[in-house]
Amino acid sequence: MVSQHGILLAAGIIFDHFGPLVSKVCRCLLRHGALPLQEIVRRLDLSPGQVKNSLLVLIQHNCVQAFSSPRGGGDKTATHYLAIFDNILHRLRFSKFLSVIRADIPESEALLEGLLHNGRLTFDQLVERAIYKVTEGSIRPAREEIRMNFNKLVYAHYVERCPKPEPFVDPLQDEQPTSTRKRVPKTVGKDLSFDKKVVNTAALSDAEKFSEIPYITEDASHANDSPHSAIAGAKRKHEALGVDEELNSTIAENEVLWRANFEKFIFCLKKKFCAERKKPKLRVGTRPIWEAFFEANLTNKDDNSVTSPLNGILARVGQKEGGTSMTIDHVTRVLEELNCSPSSEDPDAFTLDLSRIVEASRYEEMESLVKKKYGQEAFTIFRLLVTQDCPVETDKIIDTTILDKQIVHGTLYKLWKDDYIDSERIASGTGTGNSQFFVWRVKNTFQEQFIDNLYHAALNLRQMINYIIELLLEGSKDETKLRHRKNILILALTRHDDSLMLFHDF
Amino acid sequence: MPPRKRPPQPTNASETPPEVKTRISPPSKLCAAAPPAPGPAPSVSILPANILGSFPPPEREIYKLVFSGGDKGMTQTDIRIKMGMTASTLTKHMRALVNTKGVLKVVTNVHKRGEKIYMDARVDPSPEITGGTWYRNGQLDSEAVASVRLRCLDQVEKLGVATADSILSGISRDYPSVGYSIEQIRDILRTMALDMVLEEVRSTGVGEFSDLRAGRVCYRRGGAPQGGMMEGIPCGVCPRIDECSPEGVISPSTCVYYKKWLQMDF
Ligand code: SF4
Repeated sequence: MVSQHGILLAAGIIFDHFGPLVSKVCRCLLRHGALPLQEIVRRLDLSPGQVKNSLLVLIQHNCVQAFSSPRGGGDKTATHYLAIFDNILHRLRFSKFLSVIRADIPESEALLEGLLHNGRLTFDQLVERAIYKVTEGSIRPAREEIRMNFNKLVYAHYVERCPKPEPFVDPLQDEQPTSTRKRVPKTVGKDLSFDKKVVNTAALSDAEKFSEIPYITEDASHANDSPHSAIAGAKRKHEALGVDEELNSTIAENEVLWRANFEKFIFCLKKKFCAERKKPKLRVGTRPIWEAFFEANLTNKDDNSVTSPLNGILARVGQKEGGTSMTIDHVTRVLEELNCSPSSEDPDAFTLDLSRIVEASRYEEMESLVKKKYGQEAFTIFRLLVTQDCPVETDKIIDTTILDKQIVHGTLYKLWKDDYIDSERIASGTGTGNSQFFVWRVKNTFQEQFIDNLYHAALNLRQMINYIIELLLEGSKDETKLRHRKNILILALTRHDDSLMLFHDF
Repeated sequence: MPPRKRPPQPTNASETPPEVKTRISPPSKLCAAAPPAPGPAPSVSILPANILGSFPPPEREIYKLVFSGGDKGMTQTDIRIKMGMTASTLTKHMRALVNTKGVLKVVTNVHKRGEKIYMDARVDPSPEITGGTWYRNGQLDSEAVASVRLRCLDQVEKLGVATADSILSGISRDYPSVGYSIEQIRDILRTMALDMVLEEVRSTGVGEFSDLRAGRVCYRRGGAPQGGMMEGIPCGVCPRIDECSPEGVISPSTCVYYKKWLQMDF
């Protein structure tokens, strides 16, 4: 379940991008979970037309997924609409997604931009857009060229075919296994929320998602094509293709809807975050190896690890300053010190578990905030509580931290008052000299509350930006100054979004 | 007397956030599941029968009871309950044992200042009561702690990666007069790891650890502090965030922290 300020933030983003009506519908869905059309109409007191249009906008932009589920006892089904919180928040990071492509496949940036802008498009629509966007005097891109650049995006999984428009999901069927699954240890199978199940049911298989547009002869009817369409390197399989392939290709170009694959972008940003995060901690001489490891990464088996072949790492190390003198032994030893272990599938490759870096970074952020707000002693105590598996008794905190008793008492009280930690009174056995003890631990809702504060802070930044935009529209005072402030705030929101990703998406 | 009981774990203890960093082991004197049963220090044995024989029977029993409390001693309340005496009778006997006969003494508990603890006059009170070596007259000796921390850091900087033992021998060589125990050094190193001044690592036996047996706990300089992503914006560290809402009395558009941050006069 999304926290209160998370919902407000998501609705705020939709408000900024699509206006008040769409935002209202979105907020209703985020609050109440999936709902059928009539129910949204009833709750919001809007006309069915208004709600329908809002839903269409949200679906077009991948913020809502429709699904049908059984109604009553019979065979009847009803269409429900589910808001996808993550996808709404991704709207804050489109500029980051674009910079990923700029670094990787710069020639395809405009295509991705088209998809981000429009939510989902057919290839035909993308071609139209590309041609429409051409500035006067520059060469019109050939359809073939656009297709090639587009296929690069699909091949690298940056772009995917859209999920099924309205899959069938039975909530009851989903709930039964959940109750038994609860007893299974967490490692066996993650307990999926209903929302996640809907999204998973709608998703196509990877093979379907990332199947590229086949190359075929250029159809004369493609009026958009420029005459010089033969691009070096583009493989024509004209003769080999039969009628079926031609049909497939036409469908892939004219009917299939494509969209950005947010998961891939988030993974790229996560990888970048982890690589950067650890850099300041690296010992002298290990940085080139660390960088080479990330640069040599080609494919990934999951979203939590990076695997790079040793050959690739060595080649990259060799290109770095001081890298030529490093022996294989040295490189592999440093890799292991950096927690990159030999891959279980390929002995000549090394794998790094990103989740450990992410988890540690989250704690670092929380601890750092405690230090900033409550001082060094609070930081020490908080870290002690975080690193212990069980609640810790006051005297033990005093003994372990070697801090003054009064300071420990005062700090514990402050942290407790502000809901960082929990305390419990334990009656002691006789003969101990004390009638009771207090034990302390980090509150188990602490991380959720911390995330809610992150959303709250983002919401406030957004409100400030809008406030300044209003001031600018009023034409008040110093415009340059206001513009400058606005830019500071926009930059701050972009940076702050890194924290949102760290705690929610990575 | 039963051993001092540790508080049981609250039932939902497992929900504490998962631990991902190098675990900081608790101090040696606390890490045992149950602390060692209190007992007289090995060098001190109960008073001989001829002396005890000369005490009035109630005082003899009180003495034996308090002696069994060892270096943890016993509070007046506990003695009274166990002896089944009235407070005034007990006070009279205690005065005789402490002041007249001098076989018991009174110690103040560092954790509970108001509470008197009785123990055999020849026994050194346990660190649990005195607060250990870092306490002087029941007060934390912050200066002593600061200076040993500095000395440890000094050694780590010299050695690069070091075990508690090598740090101690380095200090003993450089400052022959100080005489810290290995436990003291270990306790200090642990707090330094908590503060992230140092990093607690296990030796891999290779590379920078080549002089250290694999698996040994060592310390090295902590890396640059990380974190602080939220601290760049006013709301990230705001003490009023819970009271702040878009239309509320405290709201971003009226916020003084923002005004200051953006140097705005709106
Ligand atoms: S807007 Fe101001 S009052 Fe509100 S949370 Fe942010 S800093 Fe605090």
